[in-house]
Amino acid sequence: MIEVEGLVKRFGAVEVLRGVDLSVGRGEVACLIGPSGSGKSTFLRCLNGLERFQGGRVAIGDAVLDAGQSPREHAKAARRACRRMGMVFQGFNLFVHQTVLQNVIEAPVHVLGMGRDEAVERARGLLDRVGMLHRLDARPRELSGGQQQRVAIARALAMGPEVMLFDEPTSALDPKMTAEVLGVMTDLARDGQTMIVVTHAMGFARKVATIVHVFGEGLIVESGPPDRIFDAPAHDATRSLLSEVQAA
Amino acid sequence: MLAGLLLAALAPPARADALDEVRARGALRYGSDMEGGGPYAFPDPDSPRSVAGFEVEIMDRLARELGAGVRAEFAQGQWDKLLWVLDSGRYDVVVNGYEWSPIRAEDYLATRPYYIYQLQLMGPKGTPARAWGDLKRPKPDGSPWTVAVLTASAADDFAHDENAGTTRVVRFDGATDAMMAVQNGQYDFTLQDGPAATYYGDEFPGLEAVGPPVSRGYYVVYARKSDPALRDALDAGIGRLAASGELRRILEKYGIWNDLQVGLATAFQGPIDAPPVRQADRGWKLVRHYGDRLRDAALVTLGLSFGAMPLAMAIGLAVALGRMYGPGPLRPALGAYVELIRGTPLMLQLYVLFFLLKLDPWVAGIAGLAINYSAYEAEIYRAGLQAVPRGQMEAALALGMSRSQALRRVIVPQAVRIVIPPVSNDFIALFKDTSVCSVVTLIELTKEYSILANSTRAVVEFATATAAIYLAMSLPLSWFARWSERRLGAEGAKGGLA
Repeated sequence: MIEVEGLVKRFGAVEVLRGVDLSVGRGEVACLIGPSGSGKSTFLRCLNGLERFQGGRVAIGDAVLDAGQSPREHAKAARRACRRMGMVFQGFNLFVHQTVLQNVIEAPVHVLGMGRDEAVERARGLLDRVGMLHRLDARPRELSGGQQQRVAIARALAMGPEVMLFDEPTSALDPKMTAEVLGVMTDLARDGQTMIVVTHAMGFARKVATIVHVFGEGLIVESGPPDRIFDAPAHDATRSLLSEVQAA
Repeated sequence: MLAGLLLAALAPPARADALDEVRARGALRYGSDMEGGGPYAFPDPDSPRSVAGFEVEIMDRLARELGAGVRAEFAQGQWDKLLWVLDSGRYDVVVNGYEWSPIRAEDYLATRPYYIYQLQLMGPKGTPARAWGDLKRPKPDGSPWTVAVLTASAADDFAHDENAGTTRVVRFDGATDAMMAVQNGQYDFTLQDGPAATYYGDEFPGLEAVGPPVSRGYYVVYARKSDPALRDALDAGIGRLAASGELRRILEKYGIWNDLQVGLATAFQGPIDAPPVRQADRGWKLVRHYGDRLRDAALVTLGLSFGAMPLAMAIGLAVALGRMYGPGPLRPALGAYVELIRGTPLMLQLYVLFFLLKLDPWVAGIAGLAINYSAYEAEIYRAGLQAVPRGQMEAALALGMSRSQALRRVIVPQAVRIVIPPVSNDFIALFKDTSVCSVVTLIELTKEYSILANSTRAVVEFATATAAIYLAMSLPLSWFARWSERRLGAEGAKGGLA
């Protein structure tokens, strides 16, 4: 359902992505792992058009992002892509001037044109699912990081995305809050949600991923089911990454 | 205004007559305002760093009458405040088309006149009115005639007193401003002191003198009450200049000699005495008496502020958004707008709107303040928009919003919260900047204070009352600013990690 071909991304002279190919099927949970700076977060941000890229192409259904597009075409295509994908950020990025409920109904009402009552009903269901129904009227600053991230997941789900993108969703959280958030994500995966997850949480990747892609220096160096990647890594980069994680 | 309060509060110390000082110093300092222009005292066209004018020449001659080696020294002051500065002792006398009046004569010593002036009505060429008397009937359409005057001048008083309900007096800060506005067609007539009308007649070809001059008054030299010897010496000096024909020579040089001036040498044997009539009210009674005028002026101040600030905020926001998110070529253009508006004085902007674009005073005042402040608000908003973390925009885009939707729904509402404290601070500043609108003839609080304090001489009382009114109007704004700062400070501080 997502096809990425030859994705090249440069920041000035630095080539961050050097021709990445990837395909993600319906119901797949793809975990992207790799050392910091290997390009996996940038890759994720290219998928929904938050970053432009210099080579290659990304297709999600009829939304096609192409390196050759003009800024205007790219913005239009990115908007189409965003309608099909929800994104969860490392820093949560809840709208700080709105309550929990307002955050979740904002896009359904103002982007999809959904009626307010319907949007609220749906938001309550989603907030219940992430265990945040009791804080409907709280402002983001009144919530812990784990709570904010769970609301952010509900906000992204409210748009009914075909794919959920997670950009290191637990990197800013302590272990207890990390567990809360990973719990929610595990439930989502069990329900068949297609997900692409950039993460350092190897336990989660091992338990939940259907496929793991290992990034190294702007390329996917190795892909495979989690058991094979974690138990029998084929590539040096994977081995050194896993030994670092174990040492930590 | 504060200066007036201070000057009035510091009573001049008791000391010897200034005449001795002048002689010892070898210089007679006189207060005058070059802004008043020709033919009184104005920058010398042949030597722009010095002053020319018939009063300048008279004072040069008079100084010599005080003693060998005494020179006259010009001291610049603001015209309607010249007497207050005289109180402070910065100069010895005031000479600048100051007419003799009973109220002034109560507090200052006047010499015999050095010029007998009349008031000249001027109107656009071909105006149907032929004399001042024609203004006693309303215009054909029933509305009152508008008469532009120099604030607090004899023409101001005369037009005001002669008003039979068929004229409306419009006050300007400069004699030529009033002429320009009439030539522009913004007002019907201007009433000017004869010398100014004669001197500037050529520069305003669109104007003509209407009917014979009216009223009559005397330009005199004012000295402090404590300096009778100086006054007497100057008075005698004027007498000698008039008798010798020297005075006539100077007046002829400036084209303002006329038959009336013959009386300078014949009708006066000494200073004009103060009449026994005293003003009925003094001090705080006056403030009560003129309370309605202060209240009306305060309403003008409020109207200007509340008219201009919302506009300034709207324009400022639009400019800031255009600079940050607008199409390429728009950005430098808006940057230039901000620099141009911020880098030029509000008063000049008002002049452009009023005299060049010929806008109505209220429109010019509100538009001028709004445009001027929009540049500052734009910079505040720019800072506010930049203070919204980038992640907020990314989250909005990732939810499928367009850029403009993200700005409207997410970025601007947060930026507005951030800028409320600095914007309310600017509101308080604008509130007081409305006083500049007196250049477009709006009588707001500061101008009304200036008029009342000048005409009644109850400087301290009116200054105190005016300050109290300003404070009463701006304190609620300050409270709002502080309240919003507290509230929003708490809300904005740790909203999200990004």
